[in-house]
Amino acid sequence: MQRELSHKKVGIPRAISYYNNYPFYYGFFTSLGIEIVLSDKTTTKIINEGCKYVVSDTCLPIKVFTGHVVNLLDKGCDVIFVPSIQSTGYKINNCSKIRGLPEIIRNVINRDFKMIEPTLDKTENITFKDFWKNTAGYFGITDEKVINNAIKSGWKVYNDFIAMTKSGIGYHEALENAINGKIVKKSVDIVKPLSVAIMGHGYNLFDDRISMNIIKKLEKMDVKVYTSLNVSHKDAVDSIAGIGEIQYWANELELTGTAAYYLLNNKVDGIIALSAFGCGPDSLMVDEMMYHCKETGMPLIHLTIDEHTGEAGFVTRLEAFVDMMMRKKRNLLNKQSAKTPKTAAEVVKIRNDKVLTGSAK
Amino acid sequence: MEKTNLAIDFEKNKMGNKIPAKDRIIAWPRMGRVDIPLKALLLSLGAKVVIPPPNSNEALEIGVRNSIEGICLPYKLNLANYIMALDKGANTLMMFQAPGSCRLGNYTKMAQKTLKSMGYEFDMVIFDMYRSKMKQTLHAFWHVTHCINPWCYYKGFSLGFNKFFAIDTAERLLFYTRPRELNKGDAEKCYNKWLKITDETNSVWKAKKLKKQIIEDFKKIPIDKNKKVPVVYLIGEFFVLLDPFTNQNIEKELGEMGVEVQRQIMFGDWLEHVLKPSIFYRKESHRERSVKYAKDYMKRPIGGECIETIGDTVYAAKHGVDGIIHISPFSCMPEIVAQNILPKVSKNEDIPVLSLVLDEQTGKAGYITRIEAFIDLIKRKKMRKS
Repeated sequence: MQRELSHKKVGIPRAISYYNNYPFYYGFFTSLGIEIVLSDKTTTKIINEGCKYVVSDTCLPIKVFTGHVVNLLDKGCDVIFVPSIQSTGYKINNCSKIRGLPEIIRNVINRDFKMIEPTLDKTENITFKDFWKNTAGYFGITDEKVINNAIKSGWKVYNDFIAMTKSGIGYHEALENAINGKIVKKSVDIVKPLSVAIMGHGYNLFDDRISMNIIKKLEKMDVKVYTSLNVSHKDAVDSIAGIGEIQYWANELELTGTAAYYLLNNKVDGIIALSAFGCGPDSLMVDEMMYHCKETGMPLIHLTIDEHTGEAGFVTRLEAFVDMMMRKKRNLLNKQSAKTPKTAAEVVKIRNDKVLTGSAK
Repeated sequence: MEKTNLAIDFEKNKMGNKIPAKDRIIAWPRMGRVDIPLKALLLSLGAKVVIPPPNSNEALEIGVRNSIEGICLPYKLNLANYIMALDKGANTLMMFQAPGSCRLGNYTKMAQKTLKSMGYEFDMVIFDMYRSKMKQTLHAFWHVTHCINPWCYYKGFSLGFNKFFAIDTAERLLFYTRPRELNKGDAEKCYNKWLKITDETNSVWKAKKLKKQIIEDFKKIPIDKNKKVPVVYLIGEFFVLLDPFTNQNIEKELGEMGVEVQRQIMFGDWLEHVLKPSIFYRKESHRERSVKYAKDYMKRPIGGECIETIGDTVYAAKHGVDGIIHISPFSCMPEIVAQNILPKVSKNEDIPVLSLVLDEQTGKAGYITRIEAFIDLIKRKKMRKS
């Protein structure tokens, strides 16, 4: 059924699942002796290329993905890894466009290429192992021992990556170190006056072109940024339950999970929601978060991005938000300093009132 | 441990029980003519019902005002229906959900939250259409009525199903007759008459005969049998297909242009397929047919009606249909995937396809112009062929 491929080379587009799972992909494919070809980093040219193929109503990440596939084909790589991640738990499904990624790519790009399209669907009992067995099958590898070993080495790279990001190392640095087999620990934590949590999909947030470097921009404004990478899987799951919601989307942990975690532990001064225009799941998740933020008085800004988003307007909104958080914090501090705390109970109360919280970990 | 507790909580949440069964006044969101059979079912279980006013610009405005910007059109109308029903005195809202398809699974959750923050007091009863559907459905209806008489259930469900089938038959005949009728407006009149009769029918025996009577009555309308009428398949998203307000009554517009419409999704058929245990359901379901025909283009269902859309297009091309009109609400995720795939299907199978995206701002004039142009194209193509 699955054709054996003569040359063992696989192209991975730098979009969608790349941003969350690339360490695993790297470990897995390298262990099987398959060479990985990555597409170039996202540029305006790649986005425009993608826009040519898909209909205009499609969301930005899918356009970017299509652009990356075309980029890989132009590079001469004609075996492309396009996974269809349907559900990551019983009745916990992904967005239709991510589920149907191979269907879109197969039908919009009329060129000759082979697509590696394994399915992960836990609702229909297609497990994680089946997913990778299927993938290896495309390369003619059916030996279970070899596949199990590859999965193990995939997990190793992935776990290294997660361990580093959780300690506070940035995405790109952590990824580079994980791939080189190194583990770096951050020793000093810089204290900053403000801190925010960003809720957004990895493929929007860590793509420097799509997110317009939002993390660096915020850091320049002296704001400490927390993302989904700083929250462990378990914490995210627990936090969703903690605010009384039920996980519905497969990638809800990145958004609601992260935001809820920081909302519950009072660590940040505000939440930034970053989503692509016309994103179905995001529209619901951000609204859900807005509801909870309103109840607790946490500021939240919803930034929408598409292929035309101007950088100037984007920065203005960010600056206004940061200014607002600053003013709020200063007001609170002024109020508190009028009556200096005397007993331990008062100190605890102030801490709960979000005055002394924030950047210090 | 914690997780199981949560799951139980969720199950409890689905069946609100603040209000005692005898005080319940039940309402549900509108979609086309779903209100007629559901009313019959609930009335025969001894419940009191409120029917929200039909979808209109006013309803849409209420919905848009109270929901978030990015959500799809069906939710906005659903929410408006709830609000209008609650204003009319309802206190129990019923809705089905199908988790794991698209945003539909989140509708009830969102609506509950929005309505609560608006200060309404109500119970929401939700039943899954995913697994063990018949059991869930029966449980939901027991929960709202506390009716224990099995005869009432038999009467209710049989009335409901027969009314669904009657309405579907009437619609199919209306689509067939409208482009061919000699006196304009006959078919429409006949359809409206039978809708009224269907609504008023109150006995199982009469309801079972409805279908035959409708067929006979439609036969009496004088039609031009030799007229060459192009056939167009209407496919796309469930709600916009079934709700004439949302799709700007596209069936009527097409019928008056002299085109026979064949809508692929009929509520009665869908309900029969979903609720009937698979042992008794012998026909090839719509989903099975679609998966079979779509296999060259799609290898897996991805939620919503995407695979049905593709499968129907291929089926239509293989069965001599002249054109496809594909309608979907703005930002509907499965239908965007379908829109991406359709150009290739259209090219490979040689069938014209028109994709229309609807939202609250769709202007009728521009919409009709595009349909007219498309119909002209089909007619010319048909003439060239014959």
